[in-house]
Amino acid sequence: MSGFEAIVIYLGMSLLVVFLMLAASAALGPFRPAPGKATTYECGVPLLDPGQKRYDVKYYLVAVLFLVFDLETILIYPLAVNYTKFAASGWLIFFEIFIFVAVLLIGLLYAIKKRAIDWE
Amino acid sequence: MEDLGITVIKVVFIWTWVLLIATLMTWVERRGSAMMQDRLGPNRAGPFGLLQPVADGIKLFTKEDIVPEKAQKILFSLGPVLFALPAFSAYAVVPFGDKLVLDGKEIILQVADVNIGFLYIVALGGLAVYGMVVGGWGSNNKYSILGGLRSTAQLISYEVPFGIVLLAVVMVFGTFSLREISLAQQGTFLGFLPNWGVFKQPLGFILFMTAAYAEANRVPFDLPEAESEIVAGYHTEYGSMRLGLYLFGEYVNLYTLAALTVTLFFGAWHLPYLDMSHFLGPISYGIASFLVFFLKTAFFLWLFVWIRWTVPRFRYDQVMGLGWKALIPLSLVNLFVTALIIQLTV
Repeated sequence: MSGFEAIVIYLGMSLLVVFLMLAASAALGPFRPAPGKATTYECGVPLLDPGQKRYDVKYYLVAVLFLVFDLETILIYPLAVNYTKFAASGWLIFFEIFIFVAVLLIGLLYAIKKRAIDWE
Repeated sequence: MEDLGITVIKVVFIWTWVLLIATLMTWVERRGSAMMQDRLGPNRAGPFGLLQPVADGIKLFTKEDIVPEKAQKILFSLGPVLFALPAFSAYAVVPFGDKLVLDGKEIILQVADVNIGFLYIVALGGLAVYGMVVGGWGSNNKYSILGGLRSTAQLISYEVPFGIVLLAVVMVFGTFSLREISLAQQGTFLGFLPNWGVFKQPLGFILFMTAAYAEANRVPFDLPEAESEIVAGYHTEYGSMRLGLYLFGEYVNLYTLAALTVTLFFGAWHLPYLDMSHFLGPISYGIASFLVFFLKTAFFLWLFVWIRWTVPRFRYDQVMGLGWKALIPLSLVNLFVTALIIQLTV
């Protein structure tokens, strides 16, 4: 075993305390509904439009770029942890990582050039 | 393998400790801010206002739990829980000292020494996004949604350089286990420097700190809750303990990030040029390693406050530009140079 059951206990503790905190707050707090109390915050002026509407597509682009780069990181992790061993046996893994990273770097430069991450 | 009892004691102790320090951190932050701005800060509740966090807690507990009528009830209640759970749980793999020998039994001062400690931290850091975006969207308020979207975009943008810097650190130490990384930082490096990660990864450390500040939504990257633009960001509509969970979660995140910085870059519980285990007994060594680790962590917690009143807030396009156009290429260069040096010196 490698300590994962301790993590489960830790997660259980977090879950328990979070629900205890919410329950205590619900039990201790007053409940006095009044007109206007539960209106959406808008600095006191009447609400003009709903909050949930369409938002800039840039957020979506960032999410897609993130997926690519995060996967890249995860794919290099196994290589990185054994890197010293690989390095002792030659330059093969070094060039593999280099090519892999270079391809993605070109992709990033393309995204920057296409102004995918310019916000103005 | 240790007894279940010891594991439970460790979990309860460190969980409570982390939350206690996070609570105290709210006081340190307010008093520290006051000091830097030449005012007094909270000084009425208890000596030096030390009981202020308790007063704040009681106030949060006894406030009415309001759900806005336009909000989506399920998402609205789910948001704070989704944010607080990963934040509270992330410390499980970070060490808090070396080891304690009691009755011939060795107790490692770390809740779970798992072989994927790194990935656990990165994964839980990524999950925090859900708490913000779900809470922001569920509130159905334009400020909340803008704050939620901003924080998502910012967090995932800085998650990438964060992960790549950790890759270089993994390359240097050859392990994912945070305890093994801590143990590897004993002794000296190049003959005269402490054998700490910061000297092996100087650029990596700067990139890590920058990404960590953005991950924790701290000034200068506190765009998701920039009060002058979008009220309070994703938690505009929250009150009572739901708001409390968001705020607590943030401070617990700070503690985890500070402890992670110490573990990876500042020699964990090792003092420079001095091996405490040589002249301290088994129990006093355990306590001393805990204290050294905590003092280092406390310095980085203070740094969060310090930087808050030193650097002004960035504009949003500057934040995204810094992440994608500076940090990611630089962290890839850092990875490349690290690989090259290991290749040449192995």
